[in-house]
Amino acid sequence: MDCLEFQEILPDVIDGSRNSEQEAHLKSCPVCSSLVADLHLISREARQLQEFAEPSPRVWNAIELALRREGLIREPQRGPALVPPVARRWSFGWLAPVAAVALIAFGVLVYQRGTRVPQPIAHAPAAVPAAVTSVQSAKNLTNPNDEDRQLLEAVASRSPAVQAEYATNLQNVNAYIRDAEESAQADPNDEQAQQVVMDAYEQRATVYQMALDHSLP
Amino acid sequence: MENRRTAQLVTVAILATTICASAEVRKEFRFAVGPGATISVTNQYGPISVKAGSSNQVVVTAVLHSDKVEVDHNQSGNRLDIISHLLFESTADTGRVDYELSVPADANVTLRSTTGPLRAEGLHGDVVLEGSQANMDVRDVRDAHVHIKTLNGTVTLNNIRNGHVEVASVGGNVVLNAVSGPLVQVNSTSGQIHYNGDFGNGGEYLLTSHSGDIEASAPNDASIDVTARSVRGKVENDFLLEPKHSSFVVKAGSAFAGTMNKAASSVRLFSFSGKIHLKKR
Repeated sequence: MDCLEFQEILPDVIDGSRNSEQEAHLKSCPVCSSLVADLHLISREARQLQEFAEPSPRVWNAIELALRREGLIREPQRGPALVPPVARRWSFGWLAPVAAVALIAFGVLVYQRGTRVPQPIAHAPAAVPAAVTSVQSAKNLTNPNDEDRQLLEAVASRSPAVQAEYATNLQNVNAYIRDAEESAQADPNDEQAQQVVMDAYEQRATVYQMALDHSLP
Repeated sequence: MENRRTAQLVTVAILATTICASAEVRKEFRFAVGPGATISVTNQYGPISVKAGSSNQVVVTAVLHSDKVEVDHNQSGNRLDIISHLLFESTADTGRVDYELSVPADANVTLRSTTGPLRAEGLHGDVVLEGSQANMDVRDVRDAHVHIKTLNGTVTLNNIRNGHVEVASVGGNVVLNAVSGPLVQVNSTSGQIHYNGDFGNGGEYLLTSHSGDIEASAPNDASIDVTARSVRGKVENDFLLEPKHSSFVVKAGSAFAGTMNKAASSVRLFSFSGKIHLKKR
């Protein structure tokens, strides 16, 4: 069995059902075993995320109150009516805006979690700040030293020999970013300085990309 | 007695060497492809060399240095993926594969290797090279994108015409000889950048470094609109430039700007602490 065949039946493997041939390939192939380990990690993290992101009843109450204030949910009318009782006309159309608001609330919670919890090293940091015109200081980013430390630990675990090299490169790239940001802040109208900030971040992204590349020895 | 023992040791050594040598396996694969094929080769350890050959066939020659590595290949239509598949407990020596490919000249090629070297020659399809330590050499390429990323490898580009060239090198030096195109962009943190050419006729050339020196050599008839600035480094210019009206602040020794001839190409050289030298060739 080769990697391509193995990866075709990956969903079954993740579910835990695997035969002896698949088991043998998993043991012999570092690429596939690493992939399966990553997928298990993502699966575990996703479960935790789901638990964390379940809004409390207070959120639902707040949504309901807001919808009532907006008039999207009305009390049943009293007194004689020519139209059939509300209960009979009750439809689930109101659920659409509720679902939309709930979705937004869910998104906010997920976003908040994303900013609070340190990200696992599964992707490179943003290559370039969203708006170069409002350049952030490197100090204001999610602590780059922590990210770098995690990255270097990951490199060391796979290839200790190159850790020092990555450390030096990260140091140099961070100096590049600091200089670029200072330069851009000193003259916000300097188009070239703004461009160099992006160049500096691209260099940092390159270091991360190389370090996280599974072809690293 | 002593001589006999020495002879035995020599024989054992020769046998061991022969066994090691015989562990190398040479394999050849052939794939039929159409125009504009997409070919990618990923090889953790060892060189990859690609040259233009037959117009409808890809020939892959792989020398495997042990049985700890296999070559996986997958063709889907006009797309071909070649991957060195490292087996358990392989190392940089036992996992090494040396690749040589002959591809149609219009093929789009992506090569990845940690150690390299990587080489592409005679193509006019897009070329993408990536590798942390790999030295990279691209030559005789025209009308194509050439995108290169490396951590510490040396990048050498020779005779790239009408290219869309983007090089990101964190610590490796970058050498460009006779490289021209609508866009030539090199960005390095600590590597040096050397450009030797005429800057073409109407392109944009952006050479940027943090601490690496930048040296650009051009002939007297180069047609350029140039700005150069080093924040903390020294800037030198061998040419007599026509001053131009712009917001760029000229400062003796650290920044200059001006035009030469018809100013067809834009050249921007920028460094923080590297030295910049625009040389007369």
